[in-house]
Amino acid sequence: MKKAIYNSRWYVLAALVLILGIVPLMGDQYLLFFCMLFFLYLALAQMWNLLAGYSGLISLGQQSFVGMGGYVVAVMSNYYGVYIWLGVLLGGVFSALLGLFMSLFIFRMKGVYFAIGTWIFSEALLIWFSNWEYTKYGMGLFIKPNPNISMTEIYYASLIVGVGSVALVYGILRSKLGLGLMAMRDDEAVSETMGVEVFRSKLYCFLIGAFVTGSTAGILYIFQVFIQPYKAFAIDWTVKLVFIVIIGGIGTLEGPIVGAFVFVLLSQTLAEYFSVSMLILGAIAILVILIAPKGIMGTLQEKLGFEILSPRRK
Amino acid sequence: MAEVLALRVFDLDAHYKDFQALWAVSLDVKKGEVVSIIGANGSGKSTLLNTISGLLTPTRGTIEFFGQEIGDLVPHKTVAEGISLVPEGRRVFTRLTVNENLVMGSYVPRSRPNKNKSLKDIHELFPVLKARQNQMADTLSGGEQQMLAIGRALMSEPKLILCDEISLGLAPMIIKDIYKRLMQINAEGLTIVLVEQDIRRSLKAANHAYVMLEGKVVLEGEPSSLTEDEVKKAYFGL
Repeated sequence: MKKAIYNSRWYVLAALVLILGIVPLMGDQYLLFFCMLFFLYLALAQMWNLLAGYSGLISLGQQSFVGMGGYVVAVMSNYYGVYIWLGVLLGGVFSALLGLFMSLFIFRMKGVYFAIGTWIFSEALLIWFSNWEYTKYGMGLFIKPNPNISMTEIYYASLIVGVGSVALVYGILRSKLGLGLMAMRDDEAVSETMGVEVFRSKLYCFLIGAFVTGSTAGILYIFQVFIQPYKAFAIDWTVKLVFIVIIGGIGTLEGPIVGAFVFVLLSQTLAEYFSVSMLILGAIAILVILIAPKGIMGTLQEKLGFEILSPRRK
Repeated sequence: MAEVLALRVFDLDAHYKDFQALWAVSLDVKKGEVVSIIGANGSGKSTLLNTISGLLTPTRGTIEFFGQEIGDLVPHKTVAEGISLVPEGRRVFTRLTVNENLVMGSYVPRSRPNKNKSLKDIHELFPVLKARQNQMADTLSGGEQQMLAIGRALMSEPKLILCDEISLGLAPMIIKDIYKRLMQINAEGLTIVLVEQDIRRSLKAANHAYVMLEGKVVLEGEPSSLTEDEVKKAYFGL
């Protein structure tokens, strides 16, 4: 039975992606919006999972890349009339460059110092962007897509980054780099004596995370149309990602999928009660941590003894 | 036997921040030999191994591996040169399977192509690792984990293997078994450095022994030439 499910998993997954692929044809605008948000948060969360769950890099500064990706798209579309999807790609590239620059400083730090270092960078960017004439200070910028694009296109772009992020992390984990990462997560010093170049492996992950986070944010801001530094560089982004990954299951590929679904579902149902919604999300996170510290998928995997998207080499 | 020096440590100092852990340590290991380093807790044995494998950079002195200076190499370079460490306390990768742990051992490009052959050899040497190949490493018993740690170190096809306290916390029967396997791979030509607190066992296995105390080598010689009294005195610093 277990074996049968396991062996048929690729067909099930393919069918699922296919169904999600025809959502725009169903004509349900709310469903479309819901799935789009799900994919965008999935991509962002999967990257945080790659860093925190596999590389041991606890970043509290993913909003640096969210803001950078969003602002690059805004600036490119506003000032230079750059083709919008090229702008999204450039948002990823600029985020990766920002990540490279940040790494000069924060890769000297470890653990909690690293986390604080990434956060400080975001706060500095927030101040920078809200005092920069080029980006219209704190007033923010409108994103004027060139050419004009439909919701369907934005949806497909989200689908690509959402599914792509899962495929990417899966690919990384199955590669030599991935095995090194998982070994590093268990014992950094020993993995080094096996030949893992710890610094380089971590840097690769950080840059990949920055690139995907930046491009995803670009798509998100095309949908939102308007970007402001106080929102774009806010710690709220990372808080949401931590929530998604923790309740879904850190260090598992499926965790962010489940977590992103739960998060989008909750935040949409609770949208009417905005003032208490954060309280409820917080309470849920505390409950999950107490009852199932490995998150929903982490606990299920332990109980059932199998992973749908297993990075294992058998 | 042609006397080729596998490892020459000369006049080595090492520090943890301001604390000096090694004081002018010198030591020779000939190719194909088993060399034992014994000493009490905190005598600098593990520090010496960590310095050789590159986890710690020496502050003075030289480390030569087959004539080549390796003192300032980082760990992933020394393992590429052919030095493998079996760390103290086993330290297997707990959330990887047994086979993944072994494959990690052949992470360096030099040993990667022969991965499958090495895996077969290790499975022959430690059949229990084959039986448990798809189990998570943290489900193994202490003895099995130690075999895994040794197997993992062998996967890189080293010329020299540094074993840090492999008998720690294991039942005598299992220690005996592990030593038997070690002697078997030594007979096939692998040079071995053993760090132990279990004096009798490691002296029996060794061609040459060093006794360390407070970061210095205080006694050395062939095990047969060392009297128990001498070793005891050196070990405890009486």
